[in-house]
Amino acid sequence: MKEEIWIEKYRPYRLEDVVGQSDTIERLRSYIKTNNLPHLLFSGPPGVGKTATAVSIARELFGDDWRENFTELNASDERGIDVVRTKIKNFAKTSPIGGADFKIIFLDEADALTPDAQSALRRTMERYTNNCRFILSCNYSSKIIEPIQSRCAVYRFRPLSDDAIGKRCRHIAEKEGLDIADDGIEAIKYVAEGDMRKAINAVQAASMFDTSIHADSIYRITATAHPEEIKALLESALGGNFVSSRKKLDDLMVLRGLSGEDVVGQVYRSLFDIDMPARKLVSIVDVLGEIDFRITEGADERIQLDALLAHLSIEGEK
Amino acid sequence: MTIAQDWAEKYRPTKLADVVGNNKPLQALRDWKEEWEHGVPEKKAVILSGPAGVGKTSAAHALGNEMGWEIIEMNASDQRTAGIIEKVAGSASRMSTLTGIQKRLIILDEADNMHGSADRGGTRAITNVIKKSNQPIILIANDLYALSSTLRSHCVNIKFNSIPQRSILPALKKICKMEGIMCGTGVLEKIAENTGGDLRSAIKDLQATATDKKEIEVVDVTTAERDTKESIFKVLTKVFKGREPIEAYRATFSLDETPEDLIQWVDENLPNQYLNKDEKLSEDITAAYHNLSRADTYLGRVRLRQNYGLWRYAGFLLSGGTAVAKKHSHSGFRKLQPPSMWRRMGQLRSKRNMRDNIAAKVGLHCNEPIRDCRIDLLRMYGLLLKNEDYAVDAAYSLELDVDEIAYLTESKRVTKKIQKIYDASREMMHEKEDEDIDVFMHAPEKDRGQSTLDSMFSEGKDPAEENQMDGKEKDNPKPAKSQKTLFDF
Repeated sequence: MKEEIWIEKYRPYRLEDVVGQSDTIERLRSYIKTNNLPHLLFSGPPGVGKTATAVSIARELFGDDWRENFTELNASDERGIDVVRTKIKNFAKTSPIGGADFKIIFLDEADALTPDAQSALRRTMERYTNNCRFILSCNYSSKIIEPIQSRCAVYRFRPLSDDAIGKRCRHIAEKEGLDIADDGIEAIKYVAEGDMRKAINAVQAASMFDTSIHADSIYRITATAHPEEIKALLESALGGNFVSSRKKLDDLMVLRGLSGEDVVGQVYRSLFDIDMPARKLVSIVDVLGEIDFRITEGADERIQLDALLAHLSIEGEK
Repeated sequence: MTIAQDWAEKYRPTKLADVVGNNKPLQALRDWKEEWEHGVPEKKAVILSGPAGVGKTSAAHALGNEMGWEIIEMNASDQRTAGIIEKVAGSASRMSTLTGIQKRLIILDEADNMHGSADRGGTRAITNVIKKSNQPIILIANDLYALSSTLRSHCVNIKFNSIPQRSILPALKKICKMEGIMCGTGVLEKIAENTGGDLRSAIKDLQATATDKKEIEVVDVTTAERDTKESIFKVLTKVFKGREPIEAYRATFSLDETPEDLIQWVDENLPNQYLNKDEKLSEDITAAYHNLSRADTYLGRVRLRQNYGLWRYAGFLLSGGTAVAKKHSHSGFRKLQPPSMWRRMGQLRSKRNMRDNIAAKVGLHCNEPIRDCRIDLLRMYGLLLKNEDYAVDAAYSLELDVDEIAYLTESKRVTKKIQKIYDASREMMHEKEDEDIDVFMHAPEKDRGQSTLDSMFSEGKDPAEENQMDGKEKDNPKPAKSQKTLFDF
């Protein structure tokens, strides 16, 4: 099936297939071995395997009928207190199906639940613990209220290592009959920033144009500038060449279709690779942040970025 | 395969004696229980308040079990409008059981989480249920001051504290023994330490660590993801001693602290770390604070706009910005400490809540914005309360409790005089209450009927009050009399 979305197709089905969270996975596996699961709280950035882990747990515990005893609620869609009091409670109350010992409720993006709704969840978690276990996932655990954290075993998911991303992408390439060059893999790592979902989406998008994937196609398809291009842009600005750096910026935005936000993000990442006095770096980061803020507040991205380059050109000459 | 149970539930104490820590609060609970053995005590309800996982719910249930009382529980997972509370708790609290001996214990868990429109009128209904009840009632809350002071004044207030490590340890040991688990040295200590006085999460962490094992060692403790102080000190050392901004910034990645918390740590320690040898302000401090204030600006923007993308600038400026700000080297070890702001805020919080609560009462009474009341009118009422002629009336008309009177009169503790004022004002209130209850019983729908009820009361009450007030509150000729009823909370 060509049209399938690869992040679904290659979603791990078993815990051992979840990539790059070995400590966490090992602990979770022992829960499954003993058929004993506490309430869990997964926190971490997007695309690092929180949902995949939750689904894998359900599959390993319940086998083929896992869907009967597993409910996924996206808290950012249904986040009011009524959902907790009706939908969640009703699912938690009823007995598990088909000989399973308990059911699992997976609350994705639980940090989107209002604090009221979170506190309504507290006793439900405790009271129906014989019937039902909760797995909560969130980006920032600090947004989950203390009493809930206290009821869960907390696992922190880290951004995936470049190695883990590279390995998985090569695996997919092999299955799909793609040929990814080494610079292509490097490009995927750069674009993904530890987010597997981004990485796989990039591979799939690039594969639609050509079965052999290079850095260029990855950067083009994800509307990302080559890190070298950004570095050249910065170096030319810091060298006092405002006019030529502005031309480079124009090319990136007009010809390559980068948004102002994309440029700011990439400039931020490249700044740390450029050799300059520490104090200068700090003040430039501050200026960049200010520009980032203004753009998100609705200022014109071209004007703001031009102003950034002008600032860099003056800074560079000092 | 047997169903493995959640240990926190499995080992939930069934007797009060088994509840860990908090001896004084538990004794207070026992005293209250004993009063019930000799009829209906004056305070028919208790509020158990305190942080998460210290045994409030356990104590309540243990008490019920121990006494053989029938337990009726309502918590935030149930909807709790006035009508539902009246139906469930209200009827239970007034019915005597068939034998007439066995009591019903009503437990209202998470009483501080009554949710706006979904639980309309709930708080008021609880107060009414307590007033009319002849059965014991326990309210459980994390934040005592989130409950209305009227509600508080009808209850015995019992505060639970977080459980010290030395009490958590034996509890964990006991569980290990029952489960047949061998522990390496320091494992339980580490678990206990990580959970900061929260016994439930300590038990959860123990179970997480010990699942599928017969022996556990320190290295097995992986769930305890809360940062230990040691690691944050390491990062701070990089920030204050190092000169490499990128290195200082990267070091912060290893922490689970948000920039919001981290900036407090830096702010707390910055002056001491960058002071010159002669304890004079160095220009390093000024430079570092420039960057810190910029970092703070970004944090403010994140708060305002929920644009978490800006966190990276805050994170970099507060770590790297502090590192590069020093021109001189500040050698030698200087002590690092956690933000004192947090400690002081905790202490101040109850005071601030009290001030705001009183201000709300005054505001309602005088038809003034609460913000204005906090400054001007509170001082005025303080003066009134210090004057013997006005004190009782003032305390009565605002329904102040002893602590609030002490606060307004700037008294450090509850003196005899304050107690006297309070008692007199309560007496006045009880006289009124008896009149009111009759009206209330015949009132139709409590929520919607509020306005009519109010006018009903005020008509009945006004003449008497006018006499008392007009002569005395010269400074305060307020038109708000019509609002002052039993239902003003």
